[in-house]
Amino acid sequence: MKVSMKRCAVMLIVVFLLLPLTGCWDRRELNELAIAVGLGIDKVGERYRVTAQVVQPSEVATSKGSAGYSTPVTTYRASGVTIFEAIRKMTTISPRKIYAAHLRVVVIGEELAREGIAEALDLLSRDYELRMDFYVIVAKETKAEDLLELLTPLDKIPASKIYNSIQVSEKAWAPVSAVTLDMFIRDYESKGKNPVLSGIKATGNEEKGKQKSNVEKLQPDARLRNNGLAVFRYDKLIGWLSEEQSKGYNYIVNRVKSTVGHVPCPSGDGNIALEIIHSKSRMKTEVRNGKPKLTVDLRVEENVGEVMCQADLTEKSVIDALEREAEQSLRDIIERTIKTGQEKFHCDFFGFGEALHRSNLRVWKQMENDWEEHFVDASITVNAKVVIKRTGTVDNSFIVDKER
Amino acid sequence: MALLDNGKINGRQLMVLVFLFSVGTTVLVIPSGLAGIAKQDAWIAGLVGILLGILIVGLYVLLWRMHPEKTFVGICEAVLGKWAGTVVSLIYCLYLFMLTAAVLFYVSNFFQIHFLPRTPVVFTCALFAIIVVMGVRMGLESIARTSELMLPWFLILFFVLVTTLTPQINADNMLPVYEAGTKSVIWAGIIFAGTAYMPMVFLFALLPKVQDRQMKLARLGVFLAAAAGGLCVVLVTLLCVLILGPDYTMRSIFPSYALVKKISIGNFIQRIEAILAALWFITTYMKTTFYFYSWVTSLSEILRLNNYRTLTLPCAIIMIVFSQIVYPNVIYMQHWDETVFPPYIITIGVVIPVVLWIIGLMRGTTDVSRQPKITD
Repeated sequence: MKVSMKRCAVMLIVVFLLLPLTGCWDRRELNELAIAVGLGIDKVGERYRVTAQVVQPSEVATSKGSAGYSTPVTTYRASGVTIFEAIRKMTTISPRKIYAAHLRVVVIGEELAREGIAEALDLLSRDYELRMDFYVIVAKETKAEDLLELLTPLDKIPASKIYNSIQVSEKAWAPVSAVTLDMFIRDYESKGKNPVLSGIKATGNEEKGKQKSNVEKLQPDARLRNNGLAVFRYDKLIGWLSEEQSKGYNYIVNRVKSTVGHVPCPSGDGNIALEIIHSKSRMKTEVRNGKPKLTVDLRVEENVGEVMCQADLTEKSVIDALEREAEQSLRDIIERTIKTGQEKFHCDFFGFGEALHRSNLRVWKQMENDWEEHFVDASITVNAKVVIKRTGTVDNSFIVDKER
Repeated sequence: MALLDNGKINGRQLMVLVFLFSVGTTVLVIPSGLAGIAKQDAWIAGLVGILLGILIVGLYVLLWRMHPEKTFVGICEAVLGKWAGTVVSLIYCLYLFMLTAAVLFYVSNFFQIHFLPRTPVVFTCALFAIIVVMGVRMGLESIARTSELMLPWFLILFFVLVTTLTPQINADNMLPVYEAGTKSVIWAGIIFAGTAYMPMVFLFALLPKVQDRQMKLARLGVFLAAAAGGLCVVLVTLLCVLILGPDYTMRSIFPSYALVKKISIGNFIQRIEAILAALWFITTYMKTTFYFYSWVTSLSEILRLNNYRTLTLPCAIIMIVFSQIVYPNVIYMQHWDETVFPPYIITIGVVIPVVLWIIGLMRGTTDVSRQPKITD
């Protein structure tokens, strides 16, 4: 009798335990979430204006049944003195609460970027829901909200299109660089390096691009394009790098994975495209007689990718000449890029200061507070070494002498 | 002396316990503290901390050899007499009471920030405390065997953590080496030893239960386990510095969790931090369980109770309530950990054991001679 009493008590406890064990207190079902993939931040007066691009799950799902009656994403806008307030305020217009764990891109309007973005980014680094793997992007010459409202073909979700196109072209096209929030913060905090962010530009008719018809056309009315790097001093945008300068920047900071460049033909008529298959660079800063000397050591492996003239590629001397030519062109690009930093921006966004910090702590301690002045006066040395490895599936081109 | 717990553990189990004990909670919070003081030299500070830790463990082993059959409370009474001994024992219990609640706060704080932001803290605390109390009521042998079962999981997860993070390493983050200077490195080393090793003074509650045919090896094992635990923590600190950079490590409340969030291999193996969080749950569970075990057994020894189990439930309730107020907020917690905790733990972890040891030497109250079965 006594045993069964005890057994009953245990059973009762077990049954009781079923109640608290049914699930997690903080559970949030999929149909309660507004999955934000893109977040745009602008400033209007003293208030931040936040745009969230939210996925419409039924439109993105591949099942044929329900899809097609609305756009694949929708945007919510709200403004507030702080960004957190603005996002929470979105619940007044959205049926679901914004869920930011799958955020792909954060777009910052150029106007806000020029005013300074550090304040706007704190929430993103503090909130538990966010991860550090999204890209931070500047909307060139426009507001973030306009950029996030364009619809894109191929990738139904525009934010994911932006993310993927940056990721893909970063790997295949030197001028593009993917910058995540933690990279930005690290450069912002460093005394020897200023940050850069990648820029996105809307081209075409923006108003038409906001309609569903944009993706129904073969040639969309508006597109989004990766467009050069934005240079910051601390957290303020101070200017844009051209395509060539962005390329130079990525060579200097060793972020080129693969790209294509060209050199003129030995005959002087036409060009030869060279595919960069491997690139490794190292920055060094030395100080001689109180003047810094900036050195970039670059080693690049290339393949001949396209020949638009008659050149005898079976001849070793021709290949050597091409290598020297490519080295010269890389040196020029890099030198011009550093000069832009020194003369146009007066700002070390490459990290030569950090290189000095790493190699010579004592000198850095003397220079760190007015590093930019020292940087502007610094001399530049670029050592480029190009090795051509292969020529594709053929050696000489079928092109014969054009004078024939 | 009343036998509060008849359980016996062997040398290997002691090693596992010491290992998990030195990793628990330390690994979650210490990278931030170290990077705050020593920046990118945090890992050097960690190594200094291990060296200091070896000395501290050496002190405990000396004290243990002097009194192989006594708990901390027993040692105090034998060395200082009944009254003074009881006072010191009560202080020891008070520390345990504070630290158990503090560790519980850490656990719930971690949950609150990263997993269950809207669940009331008292529930996470209570749920965690229930398992702790269960373990303690089952006795030392069960706890020791549990820790042996947990060890492989810990090692597997730790291996996954280190290997999946290596591709992200940026060696430049480490440079320039030794910028922080000797003073900061040593201070950070003391903090490390204070967090990882000095709380081992609370393991005295179970040292008398260690039975091994080769006590000498068992004692050597304590050193090995303590060093291995420390090295795990240093490795995580190093990864934090190499991957997150010293500034971010410093600002993070739980840098090692921020670290595992970075895991991404080929966009395929990623977002696995919730799995790796098991690392912290295993180790903090062991730590909390030991603090709690030491607390209730010491208290019942002072009160001359025959069975410590009667104390577990009331103590657990006090512990849960106290964990809600032990730190009013996280800023207070960080401030307390940086400024109050080091002298606090040095008092109980170094000063009192040294005093006990010296008085013991002078009085010659070593009962090693009375233990012929011990083979050292």
